[in-house]
Amino acid sequence: MTDLAIRCSEAHVNYFVRTNRQLIRSVIRGQKPEIRVIEAVKGVTFDVNVGESVGLIGPNGSGKTSLLQAMTGLLPLNKGEVLVKSIPTFLGVQAVLRPQLTGWRNIQLGLLAQGLSKSEAENMTSSVADFCELGDFLDLPMETFSSGMKARLHFAVATALAPDILLIDEALAVGDRSFQKKSSARLEEHRAKAGTILLVSHNLEEVRQSCQRVIWLEGGTIVADGPANDVIEAYEAS
Amino acid sequence: MDLLKVGESVSLSEYLKRLWAHRHFMIRVPLEDLRAQNSHTFLGSIWLVLNPLLQVGVYFLVFGLIMPIDRGVDQYLVFLTIGVFVFFNSQRVISESTRSLVINVGLIRTVHFPRAVLPMSATVGQALAFIPVFVVMTIVVLAYGNWPHVRWLLILPVFVIQNAFSLGIGLIGARINHSYRDLENLLPFVFRLLFYISGVLYSVDSVVEDDFWRAIFLLNPMYCLVSLWRWVMVGTSTGVEVWLATGVWSLLALMVGLSAFRSKETTYGGTG
Repeated sequence: MTDLAIRCSEAHVNYFVRTNRQLIRSVIRGQKPEIRVIEAVKGVTFDVNVGESVGLIGPNGSGKTSLLQAMTGLLPLNKGEVLVKSIPTFLGVQAVLRPQLTGWRNIQLGLLAQGLSKSEAENMTSSVADFCELGDFLDLPMETFSSGMKARLHFAVATALAPDILLIDEALAVGDRSFQKKSSARLEEHRAKAGTILLVSHNLEEVRQSCQRVIWLEGGTIVADGPANDVIEAYEAS
Repeated sequence: MDLLKVGESVSLSEYLKRLWAHRHFMIRVPLEDLRAQNSHTFLGSIWLVLNPLLQVGVYFLVFGLIMPIDRGVDQYLVFLTIGVFVFFNSQRVISESTRSLVINVGLIRTVHFPRAVLPMSATVGQALAFIPVFVVMTIVVLAYGNWPHVRWLLILPVFVIQNAFSLGIGLIGARINHSYRDLENLLPFVFRLLFYISGVLYSVDSVVEDDFWRAIFLLNPMYCLVSLWRWVMVGTSTGVEVWLATGVWSLLALMVGLSAFRSKETTYGGTG
């Protein structure tokens, strides 16, 4: 019997958006503020075992990112629940730690933010820096980095501690080919060591390569869940 | 195999334990920010000392020389320096803590950590920035012939009490500012008003005679803190009730602040 890493049952994620821009106007006119409810995820249920890597595919606005964010506890669930073996690490494209500080400092802060002590963080900094392959650029403030460079640093920091569960949101897409190769090698190595990975991507080739199983989301619900090749084929045919 | 529920708040003791695990982060971030702050200026970190010196200079010029309002306060410059610096420290802690969630939204969406780390690290940052300010203040105090006194042993405890209060209010501020960004616009005016009613520029004792109104001033924690500092530094007479009021204010602010902040812990980073 395999260990369960994630159990997502009947998860609902709603966004509440105030449509009249200023609250004060509706208060003065005595209207109720108009709130539009956007149901991003509508009752999604699935289990992921330890050591599995699962791809999440689907068109824009199908709820993929919302689902990932809800699984990290960043977005509150409106119904249902998500149980995890340990709190997942989220890796997204908004890879900004502190733009005015140098790459080196950002690596250290990123490690400290994950709860490492000062000496542990210092010991790890150089190996993280090596993985980024950014060389002298690490001496420059991060605001001067290109988006691909930021993504490298961010990926290196997020995966440095080999979190049990890693949720990746399109984060690999911005890197160049050599970094993509390197990062998928690290993910594979990570998965082999009983790590669990959920990958959101529009690059179906990448998903096919790094995931054995794929979940296809559309309109906030699961359309298909099964072996990568079968689901991707069905998705492409749709 | 036990599974955790995502988005569930942890117990207070577990929360405090996690905060403690992030202590290095809380010190390192503000240190780096201080370093980066003046990196584009010619004088660099000298500004950390120059800034308080210029402040005292301006106040002395205006209220000491141009239109003296000392109303019989001895050593008005000493009186003013302590008042202004202590007040501004609390003001900065509270406003920086209040903005901390909004400023660091990128960090919140990227890494998991107890969110109270952010206001706390803002507080630590202001405490670090207070060191040069404190040195200037001490020089002014010494220059007027106030020699070190046993009371000075209480400097650190008073500073800790002050920061407990400011952090507590800052936590409440951060919680409100997360939903209503309006608070950021309002705060400068609240502090301007407080500045004038907290006895920073004048001695409350010489303005207020009746006991009732003096008791009302105890409801103003900023007045209490400024008075305590003056007593510790130069022995300006202060009643026991001021100590008591300050203690109650700090404890209350910290407890209410922490629980108010934690009640929305899981939503920080979201849309408010």
